Amino acid sequence: MSKQEPDMNTNKSEQEPIVILEHVCKNFGGFKALTDVNLTVHEGKKIVVCGPSGSGKSTMIRCINRLEEHDSGRIVVAGKELTHELKDIDAVRCEVGMVFQSFNLFPHLKVLDNLTLALKLVRKMPKLEARETAMRYLERVHIPDQVDKYPSQLSGGQQQRVAIARALCMNPKIMLFDEPTSALDPEMISEVLDVMVGLAQDGMTMICVTHEMGFARSIADYIVFMDQGEIVEINPPMEFFENPKSERTKLFLKQILTH
Amino acid sequence: MTFDFSLIFSSIPKLLSGLGLTLELLILSSFIGLVLAVFTLLMRISGRWFLMAPAVAYIYIFRGTPILVQIFVIYYGLPQFEFIRTGVLWPILREPFWCCVIALSLNAGAYVSEILRGGVLGVDKGVLEAASALGISKSQRFIYITSPIAIRLSLPAYCNDTISMTKATALASTVTLLEMTGVARTIVAQTFSPYEIFISVAIIYMVMAWMLQKGFGLLEIRMSRYLKATAG
Amino acid sequence: MSEIAGWADDFFWGAMVVIRIFAVSLVLSVIIGLIGSAMKLSGSRVTQAIVNAYTVIFRGTPELLVLLLIYFGAAISLTAIVQFFDPTVKFIEIPPFWAGAFAIALIVGAYMTETFRGAFLGVDPGHVEAARALGLSQFQTFVYVRIPQMWRLALPNFGNHMLSLMKDTALISVIGVEEIVFVAEMATTVTSKPFTMYIIVALIYLCITTVITLTVMALEKYANKHLASSR
Repeated sequence: MSKQEPDMNTNKSEQEPIVILEHVCKNFGGFKALTDVNLTVHEGKKIVVCGPSGSGKSTMIRCINRLEEHDSGRIVVAGKELTHELKDIDAVRCEVGMVFQSFNLFPHLKVLDNLTLALKLVRKMPKLEARETAMRYLERVHIPDQVDKYPSQLSGGQQQRVAIARALCMNPKIMLFDEPTSALDPEMISEVLDVMVGLAQDGMTMICVTHEMGFARSIADYIVFMDQGEIVEINPPMEFFENPKSERTKLFLKQILTH
Repeated sequence: MTFDFSLIFSSIPKLLSGLGLTLELLILSSFIGLVLAVFTLLMRISGRWFLMAPAVAYIYIFRGTPILVQIFVIYYGLPQFEFIRTGVLWPILREPFWCCVIALSLNAGAYVSEILRGGVLGVDKGVLEAASALGISKSQRFIYITSPIAIRLSLPAYCNDTISMTKATALASTVTLLEMTGVARTIVAQTFSPYEIFISVAIIYMVMAWMLQKGFGLLEIRMSRYLKATAG
Repeated sequence: MSEIAGWADDFFWGAMVVIRIFAVSLVLSVIIGLIGSAMKLSGSRVTQAIVNAYTVIFRGTPELLVLLLIYFGAAISLTAIVQFFDPTVKFIEIPPFWAGAFAIALIVGAYMTETFRGAFLGVDPGHVEAARALGLSQFQTFVYVRIPQMWRLALPNFGNHMLSLMKDTALISVIGVEEIVFVAEMATTVTSKPFTMYIIVALIYLCITTVITLTVMALEKYANKHLASSR
């Protein structure tokens, strides 16, 4: 409120959160995946979502770029509400980068083409410029030398870093991470987390579903704890780990921290 | 009863002339069949009932009936109708060659569309989700992601289908066409030496099947090169 | 419609011939397939080579050609053999029904061989080891562990082979068996309604193949029920 901008639109976008979920519900058949989920994320914030398996963490972030359609409630991403009427869902998806548990690189394309495909098709970027952009982001994830390999020739950690670079190429406003380290061998987890920490330090808005509590402690602004399709607790890391409010959170923390 | 090799040698030129017609039938029908298959596939996976229903019916009918009967319906059956005999298509439909091409193409279209559908269904959902998440549109996903992967996945089955097509061209001999089997049947009718002639022809068919197998095998290796050199 | 009514009897009996040929060749081809796969899985190089040659030949040669070769070839060979004992014999004709059934069984048997072999190898060796470790004899392991899993694995391909077999029966009209294509030919010469007659043939085949498909689907559902319930 302190800043006075002549342009009303700019002013508004600075105040308004970049992601809003209001009373979001989602069912798979009879199974309640999400029940009355409310979450607001402001630009530049890092949110870590955790909770037991089947708690709706993945479903929630998949709703944010509409890989899943919510049944009721309201989801607004970068000022656009996700509804059935929204014709251009692909335009919203350009603003939201996503990294998957199983990497999901295009197996038939080399690393470079994995990165440039969407730039050429969606951003209509010329070939040379797309290549430069791709190389820039490959350097950022520390694997510019793998540019001419196929995904199957890379290790899991390298593949996931390529996947992060692929999402970053589109210059998204928000990055979603869906358990990015769960499919990795233990020795490769840190190379992916390092990249994510770097990204966080650069001020990217991030929503991460992860079980890496050390990562959550060091970079998260807020930790969202979910159980049985509901958000149980939202707290800063210190508060979350040292002084959890709900019994369910306490039980969960006990389970993951005791071994 | 002896095996008359001189008869084989004297028949080879005639059999090879039949081979030409066999190859024409095979190549034309495979090509038209592939085009039909792609259209049928697109209808089948369109998600719209008025496109899906005709595609499903077409596949069901042509996979559920013998090719021989299909050829007979088209070649012997269609001229029953006055409008066919006076229609613009009559110059084509009265030719046994084109009737066989039509029947074989329709048959291949039905089978190959199912093979391609298997390939499309075999594409990893996660990879397509990754493409959607990048904002790549539905049609672009089909062209740049689904198609190349699905083509590689359907290659082995497509090879088998092409071999089946090669064998099916022999049915053209039942509507007076002198392709390889037709030529063989005429020679056997004259000389009554079924072993010599039929076995020679069978060997030629087997060589063709073998060549198709090898050719598709090489193609598959080439198209799978992105999977080969897996680093640990 | 009156033309069809006049031929209904013939089509019915023709369809019976088709079903009989189907049944005979199916039984034969399953026997061939079992023997072939057993030979292929046996350690012996010689038997493996024989079965390999058999499958390559019968899967690479047009069905029509196999049929003609067996029908005419068998007649010539048999005549030669009989003439050896009794030179007065002019010519022996092979019953076309049996020549046809045998030819189709040989063709489909080659495919069955590969399917059965694949199914046999598809059974998890861990299950076999587990059964042996529990003290089941080799025979008991085969009956109680291998067979129940094998037929589930073989079923989809087996269904496809049955469909091919059924459609191959149309070929035997070429050697003069009075099945439905043959009936349609006869009917056409009398009524000059070829389209009507051949469409009837197509419909009869479509009905039979539909019944086969539905049966296989039901069997597959039955065979996989232990997998479905675990999800």
